[in-house]
Amino acid sequence: MRMDTVIMGGGLSALTCGIALAKRGQRVAIVASGQSTLLFNGGSMELLGCVDGKAVTSPLEAIAALPAEHPYSKLGADRISELASEAHSLLTDAGIVMEGKADANHWRITPIGVAKPAWLTLSSHFSIDSLGELPCKRLALMCIRGFFDQPNGMLAEGLKGLGFEVDKLEFTTDEITALRRSPSEMRANSLAKRLVSNASLQRVADEINRLAADADMVLFPSVLADEDVIQTLKSMVKKPLRLVATLPPAVSGNRMQALLRHYFRMLGGNYLMGDTVVSGTLEGDRLTSVTTAKLGDMPLRADNFVLATGSFVSKGLVADYGRVYEPILDLDVDADADREQWTRFGVLEPQAYSRYGVKTDAGLHCLKQGKPIQNLRAIGSVLSGHDAIKMGDGTGVSLLTALAAAQSILATK
Amino acid sequence: MVTNEVYNIEYDVIVIGGGVTGAGTARDCALRGLKVLLVERNDYSTGATGRNHGLMHSGARYAVTDGESASECISENMILRRIARHCVEETDGLFITLPEDDLTYQRTFVDACQRAGIRADIIDPAEAIAIEPSVNPELIGAVRVPDASIDPFRLTVANLLDARLHGAETLNYHEVEGMIVNQGRVEGVKLLNKRNGEHVEVRGRVVVNAAGIWGQRIAQMAGVNISMFPARGALLIFGHRVNKMVVNRCRKPANADILVPDDTVCVIGTTSDRIPIETVDDMRVTREEVDVLLNEGIKLAPSLATTRVIRAYAGVRPLVASDDDPSGRSISRGIVCLDHAKRDGVEGFITITGGKMMTYRLMGEIVTDAVCAKLGNTAPCVTASQPLPGSEEGAPSQHDTTKRYSFGQRAAIGRHGSLAARIETDNDIDNALVCECEGVTVGEIKYAVHQLHVHNLVNLRRRTRVGMGTCQGKLCSCRAASLMGEMNHDVKRAQEDLADFLDERWKGMRPVAWGDTLREAQLTAAIYEGLCGLDKAVDMTGKEEVQ
Repeated sequence: MRMDTVIMGGGLSALTCGIALAKRGQRVAIVASGQSTLLFNGGSMELLGCVDGKAVTSPLEAIAALPAEHPYSKLGADRISELASEAHSLLTDAGIVMEGKADANHWRITPIGVAKPAWLTLSSHFSIDSLGELPCKRLALMCIRGFFDQPNGMLAEGLKGLGFEVDKLEFTTDEITALRRSPSEMRANSLAKRLVSNASLQRVADEINRLAADADMVLFPSVLADEDVIQTLKSMVKKPLRLVATLPPAVSGNRMQALLRHYFRMLGGNYLMGDTVVSGTLEGDRLTSVTTAKLGDMPLRADNFVLATGSFVSKGLVADYGRVYEPILDLDVDADADREQWTRFGVLEPQAYSRYGVKTDAGLHCLKQGKPIQNLRAIGSVLSGHDAIKMGDGTGVSLLTALAAAQSILATK
Repeated sequence: MVTNEVYNIEYDVIVIGGGVTGAGTARDCALRGLKVLLVERNDYSTGATGRNHGLMHSGARYAVTDGESASECISENMILRRIARHCVEETDGLFITLPEDDLTYQRTFVDACQRAGIRADIIDPAEAIAIEPSVNPELIGAVRVPDASIDPFRLTVANLLDARLHGAETLNYHEVEGMIVNQGRVEGVKLLNKRNGEHVEVRGRVVVNAAGIWGQRIAQMAGVNISMFPARGALLIFGHRVNKMVVNRCRKPANADILVPDDTVCVIGTTSDRIPIETVDDMRVTREEVDVLLNEGIKLAPSLATTRVIRAYAGVRPLVASDDDPSGRSISRGIVCLDHAKRDGVEGFITITGGKMMTYRLMGEIVTDAVCAKLGNTAPCVTASQPLPGSEEGAPSQHDTTKRYSFGQRAAIGRHGSLAARIETDNDIDNALVCECEGVTVGEIKYAVHQLHVHNLVNLRRRTRVGMGTCQGKLCSCRAASLMGEMNHDVKRAQEDLADFLDERWKGMRPVAWGDTLREAQLTAAIYEGLCGLDKAVDMTGKEEVQ
């Protein structure tokens, strides 16, 4: 099979890059191994949340001061604003309606009630522009009886700490109670499957209206399957209603993944689900084809390739007993050779491994034995030099490097 | 909640140490009608008790080098199968000879087992492979012995529960700071309540030092010198149970030559290194220990090479120095009971040490005999025949396929035996699973919090196995923390507790953080730091370890 571009990996960066290329008429194949880390996304994108342990208020300013090895620095600090705005539009076009600004972070509320800096948050979700100016006073926190993946006590205390008055209001309906009979079924995604019909949403709304009459705003766990369902419930509830993220599986992240995939396919993209690239053929400084587990002896050929396989979690990087490596082409990686250096003793300390990734040149071209591969670019979490956990830059790096790589591929034509 | 009444009682006996030996001693004393207080500085079973293989030795391992220990083991092994059924899984064990080992040792071994009264059947290597498919297929000899697997946490809790049912008081998080000594006589202990910082004194007619390796320090407080011989052993836990039977090497005891199936996982160990007494609280496993355990473990069961290592941990054997053997292996595992009145002229103070988890009951019996002799109590010991709570006649079995139990109920019966009946199952919320890997329900967590002295998530893990499965507490720990926070009406503490729990899990994962274990660590970080912002909610800097 011959493509213009083959993208290895199927998460946020892969889909973003694929969409950008397919929109410009490229024939694109995405080889997606399975679940992406979007399943742990509570409905926000972060450009840059934290530097040296301090919350970032203006990401654009802070990005200009990042070290040279950071992916943003490779893109060029002056391009960030334009790329960020392109990313925001692309998400909107995919049906993912988010609000936020690249020059001023807002605050998202985490499932345990912590306020964390964010760049974009789903419009349906609860967020705060400024901690000094709360949007309302009294919140009704709706707690689904028997749903343990929303730590209501922590969430309520966190919100109170920010200055809200919070009423924890437990409720259930017949559908929800029925779900509880199977001891392991009460998870966010199974609730999302149940709460779909108008009748079942009306029963939920009746409970909210009955219990939350005194509130300024109603907070509801993010267990609603799509925008239609959210709008239906909003129309039935008398007070303004916003969603709050739950523990995984995150329904909102799952929905974002599905919307991006759908958009990519609508643009004519090939999304090869449940397949993995296992090897590639290099000729000189170019990658000519890759082989996947399912297609076997039918290699995928393309003019350009993109490595978007993610970090260790997604197996884009592998650590074995003795070393860290990139498993498809054994590309050059930035990682300590000594296993002792990979980690630190305290679980919440910065961990060296979370900055590991493949080496690239300034144009995001992957290196092998020090030499760039001219038609292979790396994007997203497989890149070295950033730290999604400690810097809050994971989703931003995914989106922006994906768009930059797409631009660079289109420019080679 | 500890009331002052507990401190104001004059006890017959105060037992120091909440490991299995202290628990067994407290139970024996209580069953003989003595008024007992047990104090433990951390949580129960945090020392050597919770840091071994979970192997119920047949004694075969010691048969050649230490016949006395071997005899004690097999006799206690048979007793525990009766009194602690719900803590024991009757797996049997193999002693295999590999091509690099001397096959003539097998004869020496079997003869020694027979002298100690341990059944040891030589079987054909092909038969060994048939009954234990994970075993190294290159084996040239195999002997079958009555080894088994035992859950030391459950065993300790069962002893503590029975002690309490017979009137004993037990206090965890109470550290002994000093002894009350009056005219050459120990009359009680000075305690620090680590949960509220309060200092208290409690009086007892006899004080028993059952503090394991920490017993040397306890003895010093009474002005008594015991020279302990700390021998550290590291172990690795693998992510699933590759073996059905205990697998040992048939040779002189050496590094990493025992592989034990425990519940859903298996454990290889141990190393053995003499360490300075000052370092017994540093349980971090080194890279060298990990390397030795992996390389040797693969020889017992080659599939370990491709099995995920989920955790590493180390414990310190409380041996009493008796010679200069640097490995610590050839010295006796024998039980040492020191009456300090006779030995050192200090009245009212007895140390029980040496021994093994396997012989905890016998150690309890020996020291209780000594206590009773001092107090003029003539009640006989009944611990060898009276089942522990959870193992009584007619107690339900998790392996009973005629009963329709849910996954959670079956798991709870496995953990708590007949006491599982105390777990609330009245409604669908109580039956809801919090930990899917280990089948822990809301009802079981309530039971543990209300009846098993659970104050935090790490305590809860020891009582219920929450977070001990392959996911290592990835999601269940937040669910459990949140539930406990609401039960205790202290949400802030629940977040700190969650961070402590993840930190404690990480201590065990870090030495083996590659492959899927590193992936799990990154995923846990993505959830608890990335998604939840736990690192922003708690301050872990300069935190004293109170696990």
